[in-house]
Amino acid sequence: MKISSLYILLVGSIFFLACNSAPKQLPILGSREPIEKTVDGKKVVDTLYQTIPAFSLINQDNTIINNDSLKNSIYVADFFFTSCPSICPIMSKNLLTVYEKFKGNKEVRFLSHTIDPKHDTIPVLKKYADKLGVKGTQWSFLLGSKDSVYLLAKDGYMSYSKQNDSIPGGYEHSGYFLLVDKDKRIRGAYDGTDKNQVAQMSKDMDILLSEYHKK
Amino acid sequence: MRKIIILISFLALASAVFFSACVNEDSIKYQRYYSDGLQMYKDHCQSCHMDDGNGLASLIPPLSDTTYLKTNRKMLACYIVYGLSDTIKINGKLYEGKMPAEKHLASIDLAKILTYITNSFGNKQGIFDVKEIEKNLIDCSRDTTQVVSAK
Repeated sequence: MKISSLYILLVGSIFFLACNSAPKQLPILGSREPIEKTVDGKKVVDTLYQTIPAFSLINQDNTIINNDSLKNSIYVADFFFTSCPSICPIMSKNLLTVYEKFKGNKEVRFLSHTIDPKHDTIPVLKKYADKLGVKGTQWSFLLGSKDSVYLLAKDGYMSYSKQNDSIPGGYEHSGYFLLVDKDKRIRGAYDGTDKNQVAQMSKDMDILLSEYHKK
Repeated sequence: MRKIIILISFLALASAVFFSACVNEDSIKYQRYYSDGLQMYKDHCQSCHMDDGNGLASLIPPLSDTTYLKTNRKMLACYIVYGLSDTIKINGKLYEGKMPAEKHLASIDLAKILTYITNSFGNKQGIFDVKEIEKNLIDCSRDTTQVVSAK
C-alpha cells in the first residue's frame, strides 16, 4: 500500500515536471488589431500583429537585404554607427558573443543599421565587419538613406535614433536589440549594453527557433 | 644604563612609527588614486576599452598589453587629452581607429585614471602623480609644436 502510493506520487511528479519543462513561447510585441476573415464561408475574427515594414538596404558586401532575403530566418536588429564612442562598442561586443553561438546557422541573421550614412559608407562598414571578425553576410551591416533608416527604427522597431550634435559622436540612439521572428513580428527587446539581458536573448532565440522546428 | 636603554627603545619605536606612517601615506595615496581612477575609468574609458580592459576585437586596442603601456608611459596622458588618430601596433595587431580627445580632464583626473589603468589588467607600474602628468603634457605639446613648425 505504502509502495503504491509512493509510485503514484512519483508518476504524478514526473507528469508535473513534464508539463513545466514544455518550452514556453515568447510574447508577440507591438500593437495588434482584430481583422475579420472569411474562412469556409464563415466569418472569423483573427488578430493582425504589428510587423516590420518592407525595407531594402545595402550591406557591407554590396548585397541588397530586404524582407525577402530574410524570409526563412529569425533575426536580431540594432542601430549603431562605426565612430560611436558611447554604447556601441559594448553592444557590438555583446552581440559578437551571440553571433559566435549561432555562427553558420542559416535560420539566424543579424542586422546592424548605421544611423550615420554620411560617414559609414560601404567600405567603412566592410572594414568594421572585418575588424570585428565577422565574415559573410549572416551579420549584415546595413546602409540606407538617413530618413528611411530613422523611419524604420521608429515605425518598425519601436526604437529611436536621431542626430544630436550636443552629445559625443553626434548621434543618439537606443541600445536595444530587437528579436524578430520569420513573420517579421517583434518577439523580444533587450538592453544591448547589459550582459545578462543579452544572455537572456540568446536563450530566447533558442525558444523561438524551437517554435519552427515543432511543426 | 637603564635610562639609555629606555631612550634607545623610545627612539627606535618613534622612528618605526615615523617610517611606517610615511609608507602608509604613500600607499594610502596610491589606493585613493586607484579607487577614484576606477570610477573615472568607468565614466570615460570603459564603454570602449571594456571592463576587462581587453577592448574590442581589432577595432579597439586592449589596455592589457603590459609592454605597450610600459614603453609608452610618457605618452599615455597625451593620448587621453589629445586623442589618437595614428595607427598603432599592439602585440602584432594594427589598430587604425580614432580615439576621441578628452580635453576637459584635469591633471589630477589623468593621474587617477592612469594609476588605475597601469595597475590593472595585468599591469603593475605603480602610481602616476600629478607632477609626472604635467611634465608629460608639456613635453608632448612641445613635440607637436616642433613638428608643426618643422613643416
